[in-house]
Amino acid sequence: MKHNAPQSSISIDAQQLVVNLNNKTILNNLSFQVASGEVYALLGGNGAGKSTALKTLLGFHKPVSGQAVIGGLPVSSSFSAIRKKIAYLPENASLYPHLNAFENIEYFLSLAAVHKTHAEIKMSLQQVNLQQDAWKQPLSKFSKGMRQKTAIALALLRDSPILLLDEPTSGLDPVAIDEFNLLIMSLAKQGAAILMVTHDVYGACQVAQRIGLLRDGRLVGEFIADGEDQIDTEQVHKAFTAGVID
Amino acid sequence: MIRHIMREWRFLLGQNNLVILLCLCCALSSFAIYSGHQEITAQHFTIERLQLAQQQDQEDILAKYKTPGSLAYYQFHLTYQTPSNLSFAALGERDLYPWKHRIRMLALEGQIYESDVANPELAYIGKFDFSFLISVLAPLFVILMLHDIVANERSNGRYELLVVTASGSIVLWGYKTLVRFLMLSLSMLVPFYVGAALNDVPLHDVFYVSILVLAYLAFWAVLTLWFGRHSIFAPRIAATLIGFWVAVTCVIPITGNVLIEKNIEVPKGSEILLLQRETVNQAWDIPAETSLTEFIKTHPEYEAYAEMSEGFHWKWYYAFQQLGDEAVAHLAFDYRNAIQTKFDLGNYIAMFSPPVLMQRQLSRMAQTDAISALRYEQSIRDFHQALRLYYYPYLFELHSFDESALAEMPQYQDFARL
Repeated sequence: MKHNAPQSSISIDAQQLVVNLNNKTILNNLSFQVASGEVYALLGGNGAGKSTALKTLLGFHKPVSGQAVIGGLPVSSSFSAIRKKIAYLPENASLYPHLNAFENIEYFLSLAAVHKTHAEIKMSLQQVNLQQDAWKQPLSKFSKGMRQKTAIALALLRDSPILLLDEPTSGLDPVAIDEFNLLIMSLAKQGAAILMVTHDVYGACQVAQRIGLLRDGRLVGEFIADGEDQIDTEQVHKAFTAGVID
Repeated sequence: MIRHIMREWRFLLGQNNLVILLCLCCALSSFAIYSGHQEITAQHFTIERLQLAQQQDQEDILAKYKTPGSLAYYQFHLTYQTPSNLSFAALGERDLYPWKHRIRMLALEGQIYESDVANPELAYIGKFDFSFLISVLAPLFVILMLHDIVANERSNGRYELLVVTASGSIVLWGYKTLVRFLMLSLSMLVPFYVGAALNDVPLHDVFYVSILVLAYLAFWAVLTLWFGRHSIFAPRIAATLIGFWVAVTCVIPITGNVLIEKNIEVPKGSEILLLQRETVNQAWDIPAETSLTEFIKTHPEYEAYAEMSEGFHWKWYYAFQQLGDEAVAHLAFDYRNAIQTKFDLGNYIAMFSPPVLMQRQLSRMAQTDAISALRYEQSIRDFHQALRLYYYPYLFELHSFDESALAEMPQYQDFARL
């Protein structure tokens, strides 16, 4: 039950990826596609290969066979061109603890050669609901959730058409998670292709149009939202916990 | 480019540990320059003081002694090696080899090596100068500043985010490395520039030292980045690099030095001194004619004046003084030859030890190495020889010795060379 994204607008394309790490096969013929305007959740338990899949798409792991294509360019040979098109949100956003939220964002944007005004940075920090009195505090004083919000603000400021998110709601409180999910859906509506890897069944069902269930490095099932309706959480949860896919 | 440099500069200023390291480096460099400048100022002061004392001494001696024989006996001549403008930065071996001698027209070699009876190894402790800071300590600062540039990001989980975010590797790692490297280099070079201005060092020397220092630090920077390019563990990178530093700074030079010391035999200065004194003292116990006959072999022009008509004559006295020098000439030659050989072998060792190579380059430029010391010694011999050739006609042919003769007496300054 695999559902392909519309061919014309494919932004992320994993084609039969096989990745070995330390003589162990982590990804085994993994294939999926994410189209522009779509949120795709790669769901899996610990050790399923979610982060490896993401790092392969980011060019940090070389597949022994298959290939990853982002924005129409193969990752293996065009990574410098690709990184201009993508924003990445790691699970534990370890930004610089000695810089404040503002300085961190300015520093990373400068590395990315993206110019944003102070007003735009402020707007982004407001968008992720980071308290204004914390903006000028060093990140060493931030909670995990606040750091994550700062990283989300940074990812939003990149204005990238493709977002790769690794457990994006990790460390966020329920209110922040709802706000984040709304933000993600809004970005998708604006045309962004969003791939998130997560083990949060509820969060995945809330935002994703498609969910790929990953087990032992293989896609063992895929769920697709029916029109405006969300994917059935119970069905996904059952498959996720039981490991049985119809 | 300026934008990237300014970004990394602001970033660096926010990292207290690096700022403290740079301040420490600057403080050490300032201290090295200060102590070098103090040492050289003291040497200049000593030379000035000796010149004044020499002038006073000359006036007294010239007033008291009118004959060439007694004047040559009692008159001391000041010789010294003026430190070069750059020597404040590399004191080199000026604490090992003498740079000032007061000599008389007696047998010379003993006068040169008189100070060698002291244990020269006491001077091995050396002084903390700029060349020591650059060649020995600066690599450690380079390692501390640059070893964890990539590893720190990996261990703190920022590596992937940085790589994905940055528009290129140069933007990400290049400017960070460049800023740290430049700040470290400037923290050491700025005090040197102040010292160079105080000591009137010519601009081309300042430029050459700067290039040398930057090239040396760049070598360590490249090595550090090469070692640290893949590893996640910063302590492992630092330990490997410090191990390499210990090998090239301590193990190779010490082993090389031990091998050189074991295989190259240097006659002791005390041996030269003793043999010369014995030769000179024996001359009092043998017939004067024997000494004069021996002397005439090298100065046949005085054969007609070699006869002794009285019990003591200055010509005989200075003839056997010269024979004293001739008796130890082979030892003095061996001594110089051994020093030169050790220096040459040291050059080979330096090819395997960048710190030694750097230190030798700086002391060569500052003219404070063994080669400069040998040149100074040679200038004393040349001057002493000129003094003999000046006095001998007055001693043997008994030319009249008046004011005009005194005006023609050789002066050491004409022989001094760096």
